[in-house]
Amino acid sequence: MSGLLTIYAFDELWNLSNILRYGLMALQHRGSQYYVVCTNESNSLKCYEDEDIDVAKKISSHVAIASTYSYQTENLFDVKKSDGYEIVAIVDRPWSAISDFTSALVVSLKNSRNRIDAFRNIIKTFQTDHSVSIPSLMVLTSDREVFVWRGPQGFTTFALGSYGFDMAIAASESVAIDILGGDLKRFLGCGEGVYISRYLFKTFSTDFSNGCSGVCLFELLYLSRHDSIVHGISVYEFRKALGAELAKYLDREVDVVVGVPETALPYAIGFANSIQKAFDMAFVATGGRRRSMLASDPFEKIVAIHLKMNPIRSSLEGKRIAIVDDSMVTGSTMKTVSQILRFRVGVKEIHLFIASPPLVHGCPYNVMRLDVQNLLAANLSKELAKSYLEVDSLHWLSKGDVDRVARRFGIRFCGKCFGVDYFGG
Amino acid sequence: MKVLIIGSGGREHAIAKLVKRSGLEPRIFVAMDYRNPGLEREASETGGKWFIAPTTSPEKIVGVAEEVSPDLIVVGPEEPQFAGVTDALRDRGFTVFGASMRCAEIEKSKVFARTLMWKYGIEGRLYFKAFTDVEEARKFIEFAGDVVIKPARQAGGKGVKVVRDTQAYLSRDRAEVKKSYVEKLFNEMSSYRDIDYKIIVEQRVEGVEYTAMVITDGDTVLPLPLIQDHPHAFEYDTGPETGGMGSIQGPGWVLPFITDEEYRKTIEIVSNVLKALVKEVGEPYIGAFAGQMMLTGVWGPTVIEFYSRFGDPEASNLVPIVESDFLEILDRAAEKRLAGAKLRINEEIVTIVKAVAPAGYPDNKHLASSHPISIDEARIRELGCETLYASVEMRSDGILYTKGSRAFEIVCHGNSYEEAYKKAENAVTHISTLDGWPLFYRRDIGSSELLEDRKRVANRVRQVYMARAKNGLIGKILVWVPGEGILENPLIGFVR
Ligand SMILES: Nc1ncnc2c1ncn2[C@@H]1O[C@H](COP(=O)(O)OP(=O)(O)OP(=O)(O)O)[C@@H](O)[C@H]1O
Repeated sequence: MSGLLTIYAFDELWNLSNILRYGLMALQHRGSQYYVVCTNESNSLKCYEDEDIDVAKKISSHVAIASTYSYQTENLFDVKKSDGYEIVAIVDRPWSAISDFTSALVVSLKNSRNRIDAFRNIIKTFQTDHSVSIPSLMVLTSDREVFVWRGPQGFTTFALGSYGFDMAIAASESVAIDILGGDLKRFLGCGEGVYISRYLFKTFSTDFSNGCSGVCLFELLYLSRHDSIVHGISVYEFRKALGAELAKYLDREVDVVVGVPETALPYAIGFANSIQKAFDMAFVATGGRRRSMLASDPFEKIVAIHLKMNPIRSSLEGKRIAIVDDSMVTGSTMKTVSQILRFRVGVKEIHLFIASPPLVHGCPYNVMRLDVQNLLAANLSKELAKSYLEVDSLHWLSKGDVDRVARRFGIRFCGKCFGVDYFGG
Repeated sequence: MKVLIIGSGGREHAIAKLVKRSGLEPRIFVAMDYRNPGLEREASETGGKWFIAPTTSPEKIVGVAEEVSPDLIVVGPEEPQFAGVTDALRDRGFTVFGASMRCAEIEKSKVFARTLMWKYGIEGRLYFKAFTDVEEARKFIEFAGDVVIKPARQAGGKGVKVVRDTQAYLSRDRAEVKKSYVEKLFNEMSSYRDIDYKIIVEQRVEGVEYTAMVITDGDTVLPLPLIQDHPHAFEYDTGPETGGMGSIQGPGWVLPFITDEEYRKTIEIVSNVLKALVKEVGEPYIGAFAGQMMLTGVWGPTVIEFYSRFGDPEASNLVPIVESDFLEILDRAAEKRLAGAKLRINEEIVTIVKAVAPAGYPDNKHLASSHPISIDEARIRELGCETLYASVEMRSDGILYTKGSRAFEIVCHGNSYEEAYKKAENAVTHISTLDGWPLFYRRDIGSSELLEDRKRVANRVRQVYMARAKNGLIGKILVWVPGEGILENPLIGFVR
């Protein structure tokens, strides 16, 4: 997964180096394996890539686009030049057509006065039908212009914000705007973009705005920070609501409700509140927050899981435990947790509650990297899954449950990997 | 009745003391590898005799037996069994208490023992894989996970590498250790010509260990009370593995941290293994047999390994508690008349055994050897404790010298652990070296602190195995390998 960030300071006095670094830091939970930062240096473009966030310090100008990814791969950004005119595009997921896109766009922009139309026209030639999925992207030109554009299906989001009179900010998640001391203004709709230059700030739509599939459910389920706002919805409240929804599946007494850190804590709180039981801390992480689900190397993933799971024995030992997690992909997190709870801690019962429906398909849009062969729910029967995970009971939210909660919050989610087109209205 | 005891250590001394109390007017004869003054004394006090002879040599031991012409021979240690001493004696028509060579395979070969348990579907079995080839082992270990690496042959209580590997972030470092260890072990084991498999890699388990000994004639199984050994060299279960630094027992048949039901299950496992073994080798099992057990979350009572003999130091705990005529029981077993025999013990008291060893044991026996040592047995007796002589030798200068292993075992008893513990702590102070060489023992054995800890661990694993039993998972460890399915293979690690 990834986090995109544009910062445009209208006053050249600003040196964005540290500002960009902290902005990226606020997006690090979306991936922190690979960073790309691009800026204008005098009359040309300059891009830096690195595994270290400090690469942001190489920026000294007042305009920058940048991104952070959970993996390093090709086709994440591309620079094109045409007779001294230059553009770079950064996308939110690998896009095989990126080079064709920038080649076409650089020519189109160079030759037209209407900047937005030039951009729109090129997008149109790439989005020939709805099945083609163009990622969300940012484009920076050597004339210090920026295009920020949300893909037509809208899997990922863009929050727009400002900092006083001085800056426009666009980010994959609202927390980046918070952390930079800015104010959140609004969110881009599906296929909607914004054009920013020294003297203009204009939003625009492209023709495919009706192709909206909805936000990838994992944005709210797992990826975003609890303190983020997505399309006006508090991620924290949404997670608590799903947790409360889950509680209806509890069909026996438990002693404590715990969540798998870090993401699942609000779900567990919502669950515990709704059954009026204590919510307890269960695990403490070592070495800072790591997003185990985002690790692409399976070994790194297990390492991340193990490092965040040192149990707080006193809150668990000898107890009947309801444990809540946001989603279950391969089940390796839950297997680890149950082994720790059983063998290292010694609990009486483990009842596992998953705050989303069983994941049964890969992601057709390549937004989530899901290999169907590794999906627990797609391969193991519920009974087998229970035995493998060593849990006493296993519960998932139904598709109907998620649909209902999504409607209540007034949002639509893509639900392809869960076996439905979308959740919500 | 003339009884010939084969063996040189603390266990044989304990057996001698138990036999000595018999109403059958025993005269004790001993064949030992070195002059153990404790055994010497039991022999001379009962009007018997002692012999210095290599206890693993069938000819030499048969020679001694023919000279003594005993009514019963008790073979103490396992090595003489492995070497065919028991069989040679039986061939000559002697009445022998001790496992035959083929029966002793259960201790000698961990591969044989584990295979037997799987073949007969006996509970408490662990997953394992055995290797004859170092290359194959090296490859396997690269991807092995939470495992224990052992020599496939009993090698004197040494050579087990327990590598807890439940943290992926350290698993690569641990894999390195495992690999080097496999190579080292292969080198060491290549000198044993009597086995095919050199090493065994098995599932690691956690919990509380205890020993379940029985006496059997192949049909009847007479259980002894549970005893807990302490294999770590140092206090609080730290330090290298030893043959056992002490043991506790009582009150009664179980230990304070084992339930009656767990005891019953344990004896059931041990009996089932005996039955399977007798069937497998086609010979009666006559002698002592023991399951070295661990109460684990995987199975509850789980088998770590077997002894084809009395445990050492576990045999020492029997000294204060056995009320029946022990010699008569051994004799009945040896003559296959064990049916109907009863073993009475003093169920009111507890026993604590503490071994005292010279510094250097167990990793540098050379350093630990040849230190003059003295013991004030009279003072120890005043405390109500017994002294057993183990790895000490009387030399021609009339002075006792250490032989590198545990020198003495002090056996104390009392109406409570507190009482027995106080006595034992006092008793060990009456042993010292004459050359100032440091001695060590484990203060924590028998302490209420350690007992509480055992109870805590036992409660934890009890909860685990009971929960797993409820879900039909007892004994099972399931892993899911995408594309292959659910496997029962706990030997696989994180590094693929
Ligand atoms: N599978 C296992 N899981 C965890 N610990 C184990 C396992 N196997 C052995 N151990 C530990 O190692 C010790 C020695 O193992 P084992 O008894 O198999 O070896 P040994 O060298 O034959 O020892 P002994 O002196 O008891 O004959 C055990 O007492 C136990 O503490």
